[in-house]
Amino acid sequence: MKMKRKTNLIMGITMMMFLMGCHKDLDQTPIDPDLFTEVDVFANADQAKGALAKVYGGLVLTGQQGPAGQPDISGIDEGFSQFSRMLFNLNELTTDHAVVAWGDPGLPNLHAMNWGSGNDFSNALYSRLAQVVTFGNSFIINAGALTEDPEVASFIAEARFIRAYAYYNLMDLYANVPLVTEISAELPQQSGRAEIFAFIESELLDIQNSLKPAQQNEYGRVDEVAAWALLSRLYLNAGVFTGNNRYADAIEFSEKVFGSSYGINTTDGNGNGSAYDELFLADNDTNGAQNEFIFALNFDGIRTQTFGGTTFLVHAPLGGNMDPVEFGVNGGWAGYRATKAFVQKFDYAATGFDGDGFPISWSDGRALFFTDGQNFEIQSIPTFADGYAVSKFKNVDINGNAGSDTAGDFVDTDLPMIRLAEVNLNYAEAVVKGGGGSTSKATGLINELRARAGAPTIVEADLTAQFVLDERSRELYWEGLRRTDLVRNDLFVSGSYLWPFKGGSSNGNAVGEFRKIFPIPDNILLGNKNLTQNQGY
Amino acid sequence: MKTMLRYLLLCSFFIPAGIIAQLTVSGTVTEEGTGQPLPGVNVIIKGTTTGTATDFDGNYQIDANEGDILSFSYVSFKTQEVPVSGSTLDVIMQEDAALLDEVVVVGYGSVRKEDLTGSVDLVTTEDFNQGPVVSPQQLIQGKIAGVSVVSGGGAPGEGSNVLIRGIGSLNLNSNPLFVVDGVPLNDGGVAGTRNPLNLINPNDIEAMSILKDASATSIYGSRAANGVILITTKKGKAGEVKFNYRGTSSIYEPTDFVNVLSPTQFRALVTATGNTDFIDRLGTTNTDWQDLIYTSAFSSDHSISATGAVFGVPLRASIGYTDQGGILKEDNLNRITSSVSLTPRFFEDHLKLEINARHTYTENDFADRGAIGSASGFDPTKPVYDPESPFFAFNDENGNQVGYYTWLNNARTGQLSLAPTNPIALLDLIEDRANVRRFITNIKADYDLPFLEGLTATVNAGFDLSDSGGFRNTPNNLPTSSVGFDGSRNTYENRAENYLFDAYLTYKKAFGDHNVNATAGYSYQRFEFDNFSRNTSRILDANGNLDTDASDNLTFIDKSENVLLSYFGRLNYDYKGKYLLTATLRADASSKLNPNDRWGYFPSAALAWNLRKESFMEESSFDQLKLRLGYGEVGNVNGLGDYNFLTRYVRSTSTADYQFGTGFFQTFRPEPINENLRWEVGNTTNAGLDFSVFEGRISGSFNAYIKKTKDLIATTTIDPFTNFGNTISANIGDMENKGIEFEMTVVPIRTEELEWSIGYNISFNDNKITRLPDTQDVGGISGGVGNTVQRHEFDRAPFTYFVYKQIYNTNGKPIEGAFADLNGDGQINSNDRYFYRNPYADILMGLNTNASYKNFDLSVVSRASIGNYVYNNVASQTAFANITRNDILSNIHADYLDTQFQQFTETNLLSDHFVEEASFFRLDNVTLGYTFQEGFNKKPLRFYVAANNVLVVTDYKGLDPEITGGIDNNFYPRPKIYLLGVDINF
Repeated sequence: MKMKRKTNLIMGITMMMFLMGCHKDLDQTPIDPDLFTEVDVFANADQAKGALAKVYGGLVLTGQQGPAGQPDISGIDEGFSQFSRMLFNLNELTTDHAVVAWGDPGLPNLHAMNWGSGNDFSNALYSRLAQVVTFGNSFIINAGALTEDPEVASFIAEARFIRAYAYYNLMDLYANVPLVTEISAELPQQSGRAEIFAFIESELLDIQNSLKPAQQNEYGRVDEVAAWALLSRLYLNAGVFTGNNRYADAIEFSEKVFGSSYGINTTDGNGNGSAYDELFLADNDTNGAQNEFIFALNFDGIRTQTFGGTTFLVHAPLGGNMDPVEFGVNGGWAGYRATKAFVQKFDYAATGFDGDGFPISWSDGRALFFTDGQNFEIQSIPTFADGYAVSKFKNVDINGNAGSDTAGDFVDTDLPMIRLAEVNLNYAEAVVKGGGGSTSKATGLINELRARAGAPTIVEADLTAQFVLDERSRELYWEGLRRTDLVRNDLFVSGSYLWPFKGGSSNGNAVGEFRKIFPIPDNILLGNKNLTQNQGY
Repeated sequence: MKTMLRYLLLCSFFIPAGIIAQLTVSGTVTEEGTGQPLPGVNVIIKGTTTGTATDFDGNYQIDANEGDILSFSYVSFKTQEVPVSGSTLDVIMQEDAALLDEVVVVGYGSVRKEDLTGSVDLVTTEDFNQGPVVSPQQLIQGKIAGVSVVSGGGAPGEGSNVLIRGIGSLNLNSNPLFVVDGVPLNDGGVAGTRNPLNLINPNDIEAMSILKDASATSIYGSRAANGVILITTKKGKAGEVKFNYRGTSSIYEPTDFVNVLSPTQFRALVTATGNTDFIDRLGTTNTDWQDLIYTSAFSSDHSISATGAVFGVPLRASIGYTDQGGILKEDNLNRITSSVSLTPRFFEDHLKLEINARHTYTENDFADRGAIGSASGFDPTKPVYDPESPFFAFNDENGNQVGYYTWLNNARTGQLSLAPTNPIALLDLIEDRANVRRFITNIKADYDLPFLEGLTATVNAGFDLSDSGGFRNTPNNLPTSSVGFDGSRNTYENRAENYLFDAYLTYKKAFGDHNVNATAGYSYQRFEFDNFSRNTSRILDANGNLDTDASDNLTFIDKSENVLLSYFGRLNYDYKGKYLLTATLRADASSKLNPNDRWGYFPSAALAWNLRKESFMEESSFDQLKLRLGYGEVGNVNGLGDYNFLTRYVRSTSTADYQFGTGFFQTFRPEPINENLRWEVGNTTNAGLDFSVFEGRISGSFNAYIKKTKDLIATTTIDPFTNFGNTISANIGDMENKGIEFEMTVVPIRTEELEWSIGYNISFNDNKITRLPDTQDVGGISGGVGNTVQRHEFDRAPFTYFVYKQIYNTNGKPIEGAFADLNGDGQINSNDRYFYRNPYADILMGLNTNASYKNFDLSVVSRASIGNYVYNNVASQTAFANITRNDILSNIHADYLDTQFQQFTETNLLSDHFVEEASFFRLDNVTLGYTFQEGFNKKPLRFYVAANNVLVVTDYKGLDPEITGGIDNNFYPRPKIYLLGVDINF
């Protein structure tokens, strides 16, 4: 029996030790080779560059798998959730520039201008931009500890630029959003549009000296000129955002941009008589267009795959009789077309007409329409053949060779979010609207753009606010600026300017003033009682 | 875990105390009928712990006093009690089929059925569904009130969705916990198989205990929120080795196809467009694509088992082979199962060992299910093959290349990018196979501790391994729009391991009229997952070998592990068997949760009153009458990710990099975190009544319950400024299931020659979300991108359809585009959607009957479901415009003839017109058998024929009213099955 007691004792002790050991097993850490901790990622500047790549990548990619998988944003199809694709849907599809055939939830409501506070696209873009802000906040805080490497100062300034750019869009689209610069689970308070404006302004002014000099950074990373160019855009719209016009400031910062080494692309690489289309080709990072790109989103058919970005801009308007091979892809998605209100902006340059008298060719190299088999008039929005197709974005280089993805799915073309031509037009508008500056310089800046597209030049007398607005439309269409431009000129919701199916009726109608901005997403309002919905929603 | 083995070894060194007595009694124990000696029979002097066991030849010897009562017991035999009257005592043991009914396996132990205090159902071999049963879940379909078993479709070996008392979670797994011989299986699926439970050959299952209420399940604590199904496998029996062979051959017949337009109707509609572009595209053939992708399939199933004692050790071994074809061409399942079970006893039965090992090897061929949708929508005027197609199918008799018919692009080199792919090409060309191995073993030792009578120590160590590997090859002649498509290959390997170690003490003793049965123990489980997959854009490399070049391949690795650690205790107490009390407590800690919220405590208590045992019931015709009342709490973190409370960064794959300068950088993304995740806690209050009257001629039970789930974990929208994403998993809601269940068995006739029994069950369940701060869109559907048709919202049933309210004309036809402006703002947009019906039945019923007359037997199993609604996603995508959409001709659902919808829009797609009532009655199975009482070796031999899925009665217009989740799209039709079977004992 003694023996047995001993055995019992040993057993008991063994048991105890076993149990203690097991309790430690409850502290598990990731064993997946693709999962990292903060310590790993911010170990040094080289590693941290991967986190900076995500701050930029938040505007370019949709998840960690590419083209789809491990999405950044949930609640919407991953392909839809790419920043520039959603920006296109909110800023171009809502205007005279575009209609779409598809019936995806919330999408038809955008051109019809009857979106609700649960609109998928409006909601997802809000989340996307807020996420870029938190990626930026996290990077700025964590990289702050890595001061020994001089490159890190630029990293942080760039992250602050991207955060300011995200806030610029939040302010433009949703107006009254929380201003958050920390990582905290605490529900934030709502800020007014003017407060956000002041934050963006001070950030951009503050980082202009920490960013690298013009074109001294790697391609794809921003420099000081990006801060100036965004300030130029910010001041041009200041009246909308704050109630106080700042045209003189817009002129001042436009001038700073003009003083830099960036230049309007005039290299007509494919020799078609216009150096405009080169800006939207697969090799636009090397064909000369890059000198005009102050801030561009970089796409690659193999390494940076997404169903948004330029892959969307090439495939989505492709359909009907358009030959995918000419666009460097394997097929189209037959979705987006232009309304006649936009096509008519080029009437002055029309050179050929079809049997019904509708224009089918133009002398302005920016009128990149495909008309064969397409109707000038839109009868039915879901019918791709109704409305001219737009062939602005292509996945071929200046020699017509398709991009790097031999399967023809994903596109190499980079997408300029700020390019010098916009600053030219900012300057001209600010001059016209009384910000000072020089009318003759403004005329020259516009003629610079027209000349490179082979369009006839203008004289100072032509320079009116309406003309500059139309010129912006001709130059910058489908680049994500139209809604802002129309709002600034009080034409977005009003009855003064109607386009087909504006407000849902075929000839167009005015809509409520409140639609100048988008609603705060209703499901976010439910979770954060500090927020109040934008008026009218 | 090494320590665990050491512990097991230690156990075996125990030597029990010796026995002292006066008279030596000896004798032989034999089996009734065969006269064979029975080894391993327990011989115990009643009221003491003194005992022995018979040897290999059935002989025993024991020292006893005159007048002592010797108790002879053995598993599955009736216990005999014989007084000692001399030195020789031979005993004949009788098999007792009914005995298993008496004892119900519950967590970490078993109880007599009449002592149960919780809501537990037991289904044993005799009651199992017959017919073509491949998966264990099918054995109990329709048998138990409140348990819904719905197969995912008609594919071979398809998994079933099992729900006990409605869904209990919004995001996490609502499936019950399955425990096989004491080893809880992990909750995740296994890649490469349609049903992880297919590892068990249904023929090896002895009984299934279904623990429904929390007072029964809470001993499983954090994993028991959705009920527990305990599977007990067949074990060896003493006596000579007996063999059994069961074989079936079946024919699977497709029954019904999606109701699409006929070629004639289709031509008429295309012609009606008046557009010559489209009319010119019409073909000249008539092809019934659905008829071409489905076929009759054959299946055979063989299993052989041996049961008996070898060298005195009761043993059961079995081998099974299943070969099942699918009605979708190219689908196949091939399975080999093997199992061994040893139940030796040592030291005069003081140490009982149970060793189980089972292994399953499955080869699956998966037909490409894209063919189902493609076939219903493919232009019926087009041929299967086309000499002009560049996508090679075969060479014709003249040696000319013939390709699969394809909608070609203008250059006629590739497929139009939005065109459907020829379904026959999908079936012929895509090769998708997997091999799955699963191995489960456990060793359980029960040791009666010698120093305290009634105290038993139990150790159960288990290991569950699943290991699968598979590939999917898409050859380069599959019609595609990709330019220069070189084929693609995806390979994967998944490995899941689950280690279990349980140790517990059971103390069972009667103190006069007070009976106590207490259990306390500890459980440790570790789950490890290691998944690997690789994608490449070509199948063969330049040398013609399978391409494994790293530069061409994208690899994904996904590894994780988690640990669940628990302490548990249970007290059963009764007074004279009249008043019963059960109380349990389990403490669980999961590594998935942050250290502060890691421990969860799950208590339960239940009371029962055995009225039958009261003196006032002595004269009554009731055999049993018992009232039960119980309350318990359980938890759930099943299916939750592993490290949600830590800040993690995920590195991008090489297709999601970002370009700086000329280089590409892998990006690091911080993941959304929730530091405050806690257990979902469910609590159930259950009241029940069990009865049996007229010598068991009428028996049944009645249960009413309220099951509340608190702190539901769901993916919830958060303010995106506060985290790294717009959603996280968080404890945000509450839910309630309320219901009533009734089940009854009636035996109207019971004579020597004729016996007839009827089983009926009915359950009502009402499910509602009782707290949810936001709304959640769920139920993704086809048509457009990103559309969802269901929404979770406070005060609604989960998964309620969220749709537009269709307006109808006076003839009852829907008016296209006319919807009720429910918020009255003069516009129709997403703010006008409303809640309408849900996919879950209000009432479920099961009706089955068994009859035997002389050597004939007949069984019929049927089910009914009332109040379930299905969204017909096949019909909802139907519009005139879709016939010619994207310059491709596509067939549409014949529902068009009713709706006449012209345009395909989001609002039409989400019209409540397509939410249809799908109540149904289904005759699941009819089996007729004949038994030759003296077949081989003069042992019973049974032949039977069966038909499955005999009849469905429903108003639902789609293919099948029984759709898990309620969204009917590209459903794999359930075939009718005719089966011939034989059951031979020898």
